[in-house]
Amino acid sequence: MSSEPLLRLENIEKRFGGLIVLHEQSFSVSAGEILGLVGPNGSGKTTTINVISGVLRANSGRILFEGKEIRNQPIFRIARLGINRSFQVPKCFRAMSARENIEVAATFGAHAPVDVDAILDEIGLLRHAGEPAGSLTVNQQKMLDLGRALATNPRLLLIDEIGAGLNPSELGAIAALLKSLAARGIALIVVEHLLEFLNRITDRVIVLGAGRMLFEGSLAEASRHPDVVAAFIGG
Amino acid sequence: MALLEYALVGGILYGVFFSLVGIGLNLVFGVMRMINLAHGQFIMLGGFGAYLLSSHLGLNPVFGIPLAVAGGIVIGWPLYYAVVPRLQRSNDPEMLSFILFFGIAQVIEAVTLLVFGADQHSLPDSALGSGNIGVLGQDFPDSWWVAVAVSVLCIGGLYLYLSSTRLGFATRAIMADRDEARTTGIDVDRVAAIAFVIGLSLAGIAGVFVPYMVGSVSPSIGGGLTTTSFAIIIIGSLGNPLGTVVGGLVFGIGTMLMQTYYASWSNLVPYALLLVIVLIRPSGLLGKAVRSA
Repeated sequence: MSSEPLLRLENIEKRFGGLIVLHEQSFSVSAGEILGLVGPNGSGKTTTINVISGVLRANSGRILFEGKEIRNQPIFRIARLGINRSFQVPKCFRAMSARENIEVAATFGAHAPVDVDAILDEIGLLRHAGEPAGSLTVNQQKMLDLGRALATNPRLLLIDEIGAGLNPSELGAIAALLKSLAARGIALIVVEHLLEFLNRITDRVIVLGAGRMLFEGSLAEASRHPDVVAAFIGG
Repeated sequence: MALLEYALVGGILYGVFFSLVGIGLNLVFGVMRMINLAHGQFIMLGGFGAYLLSSHLGLNPVFGIPLAVAGGIVIGWPLYYAVVPRLQRSNDPEMLSFILFFGIAQVIEAVTLLVFGADQHSLPDSALGSGNIGVLGQDFPDSWWVAVAVSVLCIGGLYLYLSSTRLGFATRAIMADRDEARTTGIDVDRVAAIAFVIGLSLAGIAGVFVPYMVGSVSPSIGGGLTTTSFAIIIIGSLGNPLGTVVGGLVFGIGTMLMQTYYASWSNLVPYALLLVIVLIRPSGLLGKAVRSA
């Protein structure tokens, strides 16, 4: 693991009109590290990964990926740099087959050749490779969304609430997969409400409340922090 | 019986040509999710390009084909970058695009009217061959066969582009989901600009043959061609360029049957078909079957 962080946010601020949804966010993630982002609904978790992935533009601050500013880069260029993401509501090319979904990402997002079958196998969809993505179950579409992101050879993966709606065995499989990705050197930022799931894959979380960073550290410490308690149950 | 054969063979020829007329509009809609209301005016420009080459330079009108492609690039590329990314950042890109392309249609029509006047212009029949070619005992002028051959080549070329090239793969991905395509690393604006250029070029190429298939070209034919193209792509499948061929054939055969048996009603064909399709199968005849293939 390199000592220089892979991604660094410096004083990122995002406003929707007059409403400030991210206040002066600063944190970093290193290669091979898993960072959990938690917080109540509306705390700015998804906005944070939207800003990093280029879906939204931050109003001020800097986003450095491998030391280079990427704040004003378009989404496709950020994807090609090695940052990709999954979506809370899985997005995929519904009219295309699962294999084609992976192939599109491998063709346009990856710098090196990608083993499409290996990715389909990794996400458990090899048997469904020829089926239109739109006919897959929601959970399978979530996996396809993750596979699509993986096919771009990312060095930073942003995962948005992948655990919602999964049963315990599926959660176990996802946790193992995410840990194996980190072991390969991919940095992950995981937005999640399921704290037990998060606890299984990382001991470093950032807690957000109303767009502010309330806490950074382990989940166990977070649960005792007064600001975190106040944000979750009202203070 | 001979009348029916004439209507069917003629309808297929007419329909294949009208597939070319509509296919550019469908490609642009599929990629940009915007209806190019100036589509018919770009077809009309192709017709005037061929007319200029033929009447002023003495060239064969088929040289209008490379001219249409050049026009598609020169007009389409800057027009895309000048307006489309900005429209797509707005709150209501579809509605704004209607207004914008309607405005562009009016400008093209007005400028053409100023330059060429309101008269109808035709092209010399002999330029594309002065004979007839018969099928099932029914003769059709050489010019129709040339128009159909060019249409088949253009539609086949578009099919190969979409199915066998890297850019075509990106284009299909954008047609499937524009936002998802960005996330997979596709430079959506560049690929969509190329599709826009292709769409305008195909419209211009169709325009070269409009004087032969419709009889003449004049500044006022654009609106009708846009409506007909729109009907054809709705009949086939909106957003699926190759569904246009089905729409074109249904329109062509329907029109020729009406012209043969109830000539005075034939102008109603595109509108009647449009209404029927919207009522019974809004996704078009090919609908999802082809989109998911």
